[in-house]
Amino acid sequence: MARFAEPMARLIEELRKLPGIGTKSAQRLAFHILRSSTTDAEALSKAILQLKASLRLCSRCNNITDVDPCAICSSPTRNQRLVCVVEEPTNIGAIEKTRTWNGVFHVLHGTLSPVNGIGPEQLRTTNLFNRLSDIEEVILALSPTVEGEATSHYLAQEIHKLAPALPVTRIATGVPAGSDIEYADEITLSRALDNRRQL
Amino acid sequence: MTTHQTEAIVLRTWPFEEADLLVSLFTREQGVVKGVARHAMRSRKRFGGALEPMTHVRATYAEKPKQDLVRMDSFEIVWSPMSEPVDYARVAALQFLAEVLGEALPERAVEDDVFRLTVATLSEVKVGQTWMPVTYFTLWMTRLMGWLPELGACIVCAEALRGHPVWFAAGADGVTCGVHKRPGSVALPPEAVALAERMLRRPLAELLKEPSGKTGPLAMVRRFAVEILERNLERQMRSARVLARL
Repeated sequence: MARFAEPMARLIEELRKLPGIGTKSAQRLAFHILRSSTTDAEALSKAILQLKASLRLCSRCNNITDVDPCAICSSPTRNQRLVCVVEEPTNIGAIEKTRTWNGVFHVLHGTLSPVNGIGPEQLRTTNLFNRLSDIEEVILALSPTVEGEATSHYLAQEIHKLAPALPVTRIATGVPAGSDIEYADEITLSRALDNRRQL
Repeated sequence: MTTHQTEAIVLRTWPFEEADLLVSLFTREQGVVKGVARHAMRSRKRFGGALEPMTHVRATYAEKPKQDLVRMDSFEIVWSPMSEPVDYARVAALQFLAEVLGEALPERAVEDDVFRLTVATLSEVKVGQTWMPVTYFTLWMTRLMGWLPELGACIVCAEALRGHPVWFAAGADGVTCGVHKRPGSVALPPEAVALAERMLRRPLAELLKEPSGKTGPLAMVRRFAVEILERNLERQMRSARVLARL
């Protein structure tokens, strides 16, 4: 006998495809939707459909947007000559939370990963390389992973080929604020020591 | 529950359930084991950068009887690929090593020779120095897995091939002389055969002193070894295609 009625099982299965959602969470969400009002359920389904219908990539930075160029690229208060390169649109939120960044972004939508079939031609870099003459500095904010490092290396190399005088920097890596040095792994700690700064 | 502590190489990780990672680990004492690193996606406290593919670690994991997946408890880094600069060629080479190991080694089969070969190769894969270590590793893998054909004699007529080109075909066993070459065969010139023989006799550190590049005899030996691997694995390796295009 089936554990859930067919529509419920189907919703659980669909929710389970979402990142970070396991079977139990999918069941909880499905039952929450079932218990919620028809209006709420309709609003949720409409919001999902609208998201797919109205959102696209910004032609300048590849961020997900409903207007082109996106709100960040068209903002007059931002320094359009400072570009922070990130892997995914979600990384923009993390950097914006710092409230210290007033430049713009460029989203690659991935990092170099030969085993997953992502090579230089799969990265969304054309619109970045096309606007290098309008940029003062490129800051690479990619994950400190093997693939992130390889992508940073590739971008720095390509940018230097196209605009040799353009400074390319990358964000520092080190011990997270509020953490304990005891818990930092060897690589993080050795990088933190290598990149120490004078007080 | 049995707890193991052993040297290991992280081959690959996949997101698993809500915040966990499924880890494929090539251990020295138990061969390839798969297990779950709980909360590894949310918290870096326990594993830090130790879950990066091709990191050499001292792993502690627990195993319950009749369960396929072990519980990864903690990894201490012995050597990390992040300890040196990484470019596209190096990441492709490291992923090639991981792909070969992941495909060629059966689960829970102890392969100490392969483990030692991997550790010896890993630290030599550097920016601007990828081709010799990758070729050395590939050729030795074919030998350690028992797939490397005898290069000194034709498999059809048993004629000695020393000093002559050796012909091999991706779809057939052994190597042949020019007379008995099979359709689609590719020649391995005498200098490439000599290099392959040197690779099987000398340590990698010594071979690294020889001039090497992505073309010439080294590339021929690599292509030969990759074709043997792919023939025996019965699949094409994605990272090998990437390396070939570099």
